[in-house]
Amino acid sequence: MNALYLAFAYLRYHWARSLVLVLVAALIMFVPVATQTLLSSSERALVARGEATPLLLGSRGSQLDLTMAALYFGEERPDPVPMREVETVWDSGLGVPIPVHTAFSSSGFRIVGTTIDYFDFRQLTVSDGRGLSLLGDAVIGAKVAEALGKGAGDALVSSPENLFDLDGVYPLEMPIVGVLEQTNTPDDEAIFVDIKTAWVIQGIGHGHEDVVTATEVANGTAALANAAVVQYQRITSENIESFHFHGSQDDFPTSAVIVVPNDTRSATILKGRYLDAEGPTQLIEPAGVIQSLVDRIFRIKALLDVVTGIIAVAAFAAIGLAVFLSYRLRAREIATAVKLGARRGMVLRLLSSETVTLLLIAGGIAAVGAAIVSQNAEAWTGWLLTLGA
Amino acid sequence: MHHPLRSTLWGAAVAFVGTGVAAQEAPSVIAVNYPLAYFAERLAGDAMDVNFPVPAGVDPSFWRPSISDISTVQGADLVLLNGAGFATWIDRVSLSRSRLVNTSRGIEDQFIVTESITHSHGDGGEHSHEGLATYTWLNPTLASAQAEVIAGMMSARGLAPEADVDAALTVLKGDLEALHQEVATALSAVVGVPMIATHPRYEYLADRYDLTITSLEWDAGAAPTEEELAQLSDLMAETDAQVLIWEAEPPAEGAAATEALGLANVVFEPMAHAPSDGDFLSAFSSAAAALADAAGDLPAN
Repeated sequence: MNALYLAFAYLRYHWARSLVLVLVAALIMFVPVATQTLLSSSERALVARGEATPLLLGSRGSQLDLTMAALYFGEERPDPVPMREVETVWDSGLGVPIPVHTAFSSSGFRIVGTTIDYFDFRQLTVSDGRGLSLLGDAVIGAKVAEALGKGAGDALVSSPENLFDLDGVYPLEMPIVGVLEQTNTPDDEAIFVDIKTAWVIQGIGHGHEDVVTATEVANGTAALANAAVVQYQRITSENIESFHFHGSQDDFPTSAVIVVPNDTRSATILKGRYLDAEGPTQLIEPAGVIQSLVDRIFRIKALLDVVTGIIAVAAFAAIGLAVFLSYRLRAREIATAVKLGARRGMVLRLLSSETVTLLLIAGGIAAVGAAIVSQNAEAWTGWLLTLGA
Repeated sequence: MHHPLRSTLWGAAVAFVGTGVAAQEAPSVIAVNYPLAYFAERLAGDAMDVNFPVPAGVDPSFWRPSISDISTVQGADLVLLNGAGFATWIDRVSLSRSRLVNTSRGIEDQFIVTESITHSHGDGGEHSHEGLATYTWLNPTLASAQAEVIAGMMSARGLAPEADVDAALTVLKGDLEALHQEVATALSAVVGVPMIATHPRYEYLADRYDLTITSLEWDAGAAPTEEELAQLSDLMAETDAQVLIWEAEPPAEGAAATEALGLANVVFEPMAHAPSDGDFLSAFSSAAAALADAAGDLPAN
């Protein structure tokens, strides 16, 4: 007890040296634990998105491009698949197909055209405003709202597909009707619209002034109408009735189709139907694609572990040296204690108490830090991942 | 030996479960027109809550649902669409694809093309809007096919007991076949008799029963203007028609004006809304009989 008291008194007297030693030891213990926690969390977050998406139907080509476009709303542009593929899955009765159209963007964020089945599937809820109801409505992710400083009641304008395509793809002004609850997934970084709105942006659907009137139709003069007319670039309650689509919806495009099979058997049957390597479409398991990508990325983790280990050994050696040197500097002090009657065991207890106290305080600080990281790992990982996107 | 506490807990549990079952709402179905709602009610019985949300006096084809209406439709377990371009509001609202049922999927090859409108804008060049006749249920054979799709979907989604739905479908299809036979017999006497309709609603009826119907574009329930009467007169001269089909009871002055032109007025409700009297089967049958009587009473017949 006396040894602990004296050790603590000594550390307090040399507070600056003690503080440096405590912080260095705490950092050495904290950094590897925090790194491991964040990396594991990142790996889980990346794989979780894949695992939460059972099957993905898309054009035959790069599976990674398809996955990145449909799950992470990246810049990748897989070849579109026609909506008849959605109907084919419906007709099979083996699962629920959810189209995802990610070809356009607005203010640097991807516009995701889909059906409202997507919101049920991803369990997305609206924190402000309402969900998608009308053609032209947009619901934005939490990060989009924060970054653009916009919310329900504001508006967004879609970006032209490219600078030289001003005539083909018209920018469409879309009212923001709701903001989604934050999920720490790529959904936070997306602008959701009905897939029909995405087709309007693409020019497949549009609204314009009446070319013919009902009377003209009745008089049989309707077929004579043949005029170049100006399209609306904003869907309002006044002009929404004029919006229409050309051709069969079966031919309309979507970037990919998320397929939620009824059960394992249905998934197996569905996968079997898209095995033909010559076929125009493929049905993939995004979890496998993401796991393969994550495995490659996280090979660097092994290297990081080695580096952390080497640094830890070097730092502990430095601390040991500092402690050893301090003992050498305290030789006269120890000699005085011995002359006063302190036995060798007493001196050893005193010195070891100082070291153990230092390590305990450092360990406590490292543990608190690790606990904070562990508690917030999911949010911080989500932030780090979306930062990359 | 029964423990009194155990008995009490069992009683409470049974009561709780019973309350839960009673409180559980029946699956809801929204139909875009009356015939589909009628078929759904016949097929589901009390197992489902069937609704047709379009207010009276509003053409269901051109209804503009409010945000609240859309929310109700989004919350339904099944949304029955007619297809063939009926209820264009569907294209302008966001609905869950997993709940939509296109009842005319499978009979697209029997759709009737009406008019074509050609125009151009942007860099898309010229393109055409192909019009389709939308009142498919006025052909009982097509109506029967639509009822079959509804029954299939109710069973597939587990919204009503399959055996009950199958039994109800057999009865309904029998009723629709009987209706077809009855209408065919009634209208066989007026095959080839030229008629004029105040609105283009009867393409499928005409197609099924070889009727000759030329359509105007008059507002339902409104008395015709002088210009419209002149147009009607011209059409009479062109077609030799002596029967005018109204989709709703015409105003007295309208009926008098067309009678003065020598036309026999007949009301044939196309039933996008519930008929003013009876149900789908009885109203259809009565309307066909009235049409046959009106055409049969003509001097030339």
